[in-house]
Amino acid sequence: MPAHETLGEMLAARGISRRAFLKYTSWLATLMALPPGMAPAMAEELAKAKRQSVIWLSFQECTGCTESITRSFSPTLEDLIFNFISLDYHHTLQAASGEAAEHAREAAMAENKGKYVVVVDGSVPVKDGGIYSTIAGISNLQMLEETVADSLAVIAVGTCAAYGGIPHANPNPTGAVAISELVKGKPVINIPGCPPIPEAMTGTIAYLLSFGKLPDLDTLGRPLAFFGESIHDRCYRRPFYERGLFAKDFDDEGARSGWCLFEVGCKGPITYNACATLKWNGGVSFPIQSGHGCLGCSEPDFWDKGGFYRPLSTPLRDITPTAAVAAGIGAAAGLAAGALHRAIKKDAAKNHHTVTVDNLEKSS
Amino acid sequence: MNESLPITCAGETTGSGSLVRAIVAEAAALLAGLAETGETGRIDLAGLPLTEADKAALEELLGAGEVVAEIAVVGRSTVAETGHAGVWWVRHYGSDDRIAAEVLEITRIPEILLSHPADIAAAARRLGDTLGTASAGATDAIKEDRPDAGP
Repeated sequence: MPAHETLGEMLAARGISRRAFLKYTSWLATLMALPPGMAPAMAEELAKAKRQSVIWLSFQECTGCTESITRSFSPTLEDLIFNFISLDYHHTLQAASGEAAEHAREAAMAENKGKYVVVVDGSVPVKDGGIYSTIAGISNLQMLEETVADSLAVIAVGTCAAYGGIPHANPNPTGAVAISELVKGKPVINIPGCPPIPEAMTGTIAYLLSFGKLPDLDTLGRPLAFFGESIHDRCYRRPFYERGLFAKDFDDEGARSGWCLFEVGCKGPITYNACATLKWNGGVSFPIQSGHGCLGCSEPDFWDKGGFYRPLSTPLRDITPTAAVAAGIGAAAGLAAGALHRAIKKDAAKNHHTVTVDNLEKSS
Repeated sequence: MNESLPITCAGETTGSGSLVRAIVAEAAALLAGLAETGETGRIDLAGLPLTEADKAALEELLGAGEVVAEIAVVGRSTVAETGHAGVWWVRHYGSDDRIAAEVLEITRIPEILLSHPADIAAAARRLGDTLGTASAGATDAIKEDRPDAGP
């Protein structure tokens, strides 16, 4: 495609009408909860935009984020985004390898200086000079610094890039850090998830193209359109939570009846993501609909929050005398409470029963 | 995929009549506005927690109108006027033919049915080119019939 050509001209040359843009932006408005009346104006802007150069850097990651963005598409509506961007470097997807691949990255940076978007998946190890992850002999840290220098914006996709994720999990042997800790002076958008919902990634890129600006972000740098509400807020099982109907185990009557999974460790109440509305695998289902609690994968340090099956109401540690004093409770009461909690947990482990809210309330 | 492995959980299929009534009330207010001032409106159905039962109830309340159109662009889209003139039900389908966007449009005609000026201009050029090619082809055919004919 010629560099001066607009996206509208490009699709027209392929015999695709402007209706495609209107259809795409109607979908985008739905995805991002934008006022539906904005779709026609967005379609006009998108048709006038040039193809966006994207350099995709993969560091300490598992390729799950790339799987998510590429595997979910067939050549229809959702596929259009790949016509709107020019993926100039992605070492998993590109045909070139070795030095030729690195030259492609350098060429894209030179041709689109100040205009290209850098997408990063994976965290960056900084311990011992960043030697724990290198590509073509270049450390991740060095590659990030030189690639980001002349970019327009940075999108950190996946929990590893957004917060350090699993490489950052305790004891973090490589000193893995989030992209936002290393990139200064450039806008950074975080799209966390393990992996992120594909529409959250493509929708954010399309928003950048349509409006030429960043979408509204929350305090953790996440687009509010996809991360503005908790899983719990939009969960179809929420009415059972309100009525106090909880599954106590994964094979009990409550689980079979589709009751709330709070007491078997669901992290929905503290997790902000769009799984409950956009769902996965073409809108088929999401973890809670499939009978498993939310792991909280789009939140920082989800791996170190004390266990996926521990109810949120369970203290992370046993109540110790020190903690009890610090909390302003008498030492004797603290000791008693700590002993009681330990006894409940020991009993629960023995009988393979989950500690419930009721247990805790009775013990306090 | 859904047919071979149905996933149904309690609480999913029961509808909320109040939500359907609220949508109809909003559509009525927008339609009154369209009649008085010509101002158009849209209600994004995909953004609302509607169950299949809710949608069926809404479809029944709005009824079927005289126009049904299908658009084939990056997948399928359907546009249908409801039983209330000016209230259109627009559905855009994504991969696996699932609904990606669903909007009630309160307008004389949904914009996606109109031909875009850029497409019209391109079509005019293309049709002109076709006519030129056809004329040249016709001239060549005459020459072949009458080899002694002048230019």
